Amino acid sequence: MLDSLFTFSAAEIAALVLSAKVAVFCTLLIAMPGVAVAWLLARKSFFGKSLLDSVVHMPLVLPPVVPGFLLLLVLGSQGVIGKWLNEVFGITIAFTWVGAVVASAVMAFPLMVRSARLAISQVDIGLEKAAQSLGANPFKVFWSVTLPLSMPGILTGLILAFSRSLGEFGATITFVGNIEGETRTLPLAIYTYTQVPGGDLPAMRLVILSMLIAIAALMISEVLERKAARRVGLATNHD
Amino acid sequence: MIELNLQRRRGAFEMQVNATLNAAVSGLFGPSGAGKSSLLGMIAGFIRPDSGSLVIDGICLFHHEKNRPEKNIDVPIHQRRIGMVFQESRLFPHLSVEDNLAYGYKLLPAKDRRFEFNQIVELLELGRLLAQKPHQLSGGEKQRVALGRALLTSPRLLLLDEPLASLDVRLKHQILPFLRRVKNEINIPMVYVSHAIDEILYLTNHVAIIDHGELLGAGQFHEVMQDPRVLTLAHSLGLENVMHVEVASHSVQDGYTIATLGANLGTNSGGGLGSQQLHMPLVEVVVGKTVSVSVAASNIALSTHPLSGVTIQNQLYGVVKDISHVGMRVLVSIDVGSVLIAEITAKALQDLRIVPGKGIYCLIKTQSLRPLALSN
Repeated sequence: MLDSLFTFSAAEIAALVLSAKVAVFCTLLIAMPGVAVAWLLARKSFFGKSLLDSVVHMPLVLPPVVPGFLLLLVLGSQGVIGKWLNEVFGITIAFTWVGAVVASAVMAFPLMVRSARLAISQVDIGLEKAAQSLGANPFKVFWSVTLPLSMPGILTGLILAFSRSLGEFGATITFVGNIEGETRTLPLAIYTYTQVPGGDLPAMRLVILSMLIAIAALMISEVLERKAARRVGLATNHD
Repeated sequence: MIELNLQRRRGAFEMQVNATLNAAVSGLFGPSGAGKSSLLGMIAGFIRPDSGSLVIDGICLFHHEKNRPEKNIDVPIHQRRIGMVFQESRLFPHLSVEDNLAYGYKLLPAKDRRFEFNQIVELLELGRLLAQKPHQLSGGEKQRVALGRALLTSPRLLLLDEPLASLDVRLKHQILPFLRRVKNEINIPMVYVSHAIDEILYLTNHVAIIDHGELLGAGQFHEVMQDPRVLTLAHSLGLENVMHVEVASHSVQDGYTIATLGANLGTNSGGGLGSQQLHMPLVEVVVGKTVSVSVAASNIALSTHPLSGVTIQNQLYGVVKDISHVGMRVLVSIDVGSVLIAEITAKALQDLRIVPGKGIYCLIKTQSLRPLALSN
């Protein structure tokens, strides 16, 4: 009995690998835009800022099915952009693993932005001014002062996004369905097993696996954060 | 040479600065909230003036005319080449001292570098600290690194915004000599902001006084002090006269120090007057060292003859240079080897027939002399 808890079927391993792939690509996809939007929200005032803020945070408060459905409307094969992408480039997003990446990216984006924004807003503007007075242009200031000093928070955001992506269910199943080997990620696989007779054991296996991954992610994030915090000095303040 | 003509209005606060500073070090002095930091911010480019112009050594960094927008210039902060040292050192916490120092140096094209990296490191004695992180440094060390970091960008002008304000007296004493070393060995004009006049006078006699956003005057300290508005301000600070004197001896038991006021000691040449002695409250300064003492104009009495049988210890002989009327006050400036301003009544002026060129004795009680905190 205990043995069977650790013997994975090919389908289960496929779900695990797919989940990891989707989460990695999702994290890579939102890293740069996430930091950029976080910087805009933390440092700049511009027309439409609160609107941008609301739109970014919408997926946090909406039922996940809603963003999934909206993605279908926009990027689906008959969607505004989806149709164009298909006709011009022959790219299909809906009901593919790429779509799963997009769906979880939309859901994970606000977590990334929130964390990075908080970190950036805690970087002392005085240090940025000092860098400017030393001859650094705005890009150099960001790259050499703001970014390294907010790195712990940005890493936290990326780990949160990665974990959110691993656990994404609602938007994914709405936008890309539940296709074995293509879009059936861990949570979708668990759900599927709970819906069939005799699926409890494989479901339990995947549940344990999910928990192990979650614990590993949290531990890695803890280590990374501590490392980053040590690298940027004792505190973000200068005294 | 720094040519300032800057205006800025925010709510009820109006900045109005029009001056030319051409000293090696100009002290910018004024009470808190006077607009000292705002002025520095406008020079550095952090704060945008409403109108005016800023020209440093013939290079225009800012120009704004309402009617001729095509003539406007606003050089971005990072291209102004104006070094800044802040009250809080603002060292980059994630970089070592060496990387902090090299930050601006590396951004500067080699042809624009006026100093070698090691030259500044040696000048400020930073070699021992290079591998450390800012959080391992003391307050004074941090400011030295911040100073070196700014100098290494070979700035056109170095702005020091109360760089010693967060340090205790002991640390101030440790860092001021470095500032003087920089002044003497490195030819970069500096504007030194402080509300501690003794710090400023340690470095320079050239001051600009600012209050309520307005520059009240700029020039030699004793000249600026004669401006009635400056005098009013200085009056509240008890700082109308500052003399640089050399400690001659101490009388610890009786609680006083005797110092010499020599013609060549003060920065203002006194025409051929011999050195005179000054009794002042006891200061803990080694004999032979120079100290600055201040005395309010209202604490100086004048006499046409030396007096005997009075308790007043100090009778400094000098020559009347100038007489000015400020409202109800009469101010007489007298060269005693250093220029003193005495406040007397209009009646006394008439009775004693005080006119420029006349020799006169300045009577100053020992206890009305206030030694300024820093020795040279």
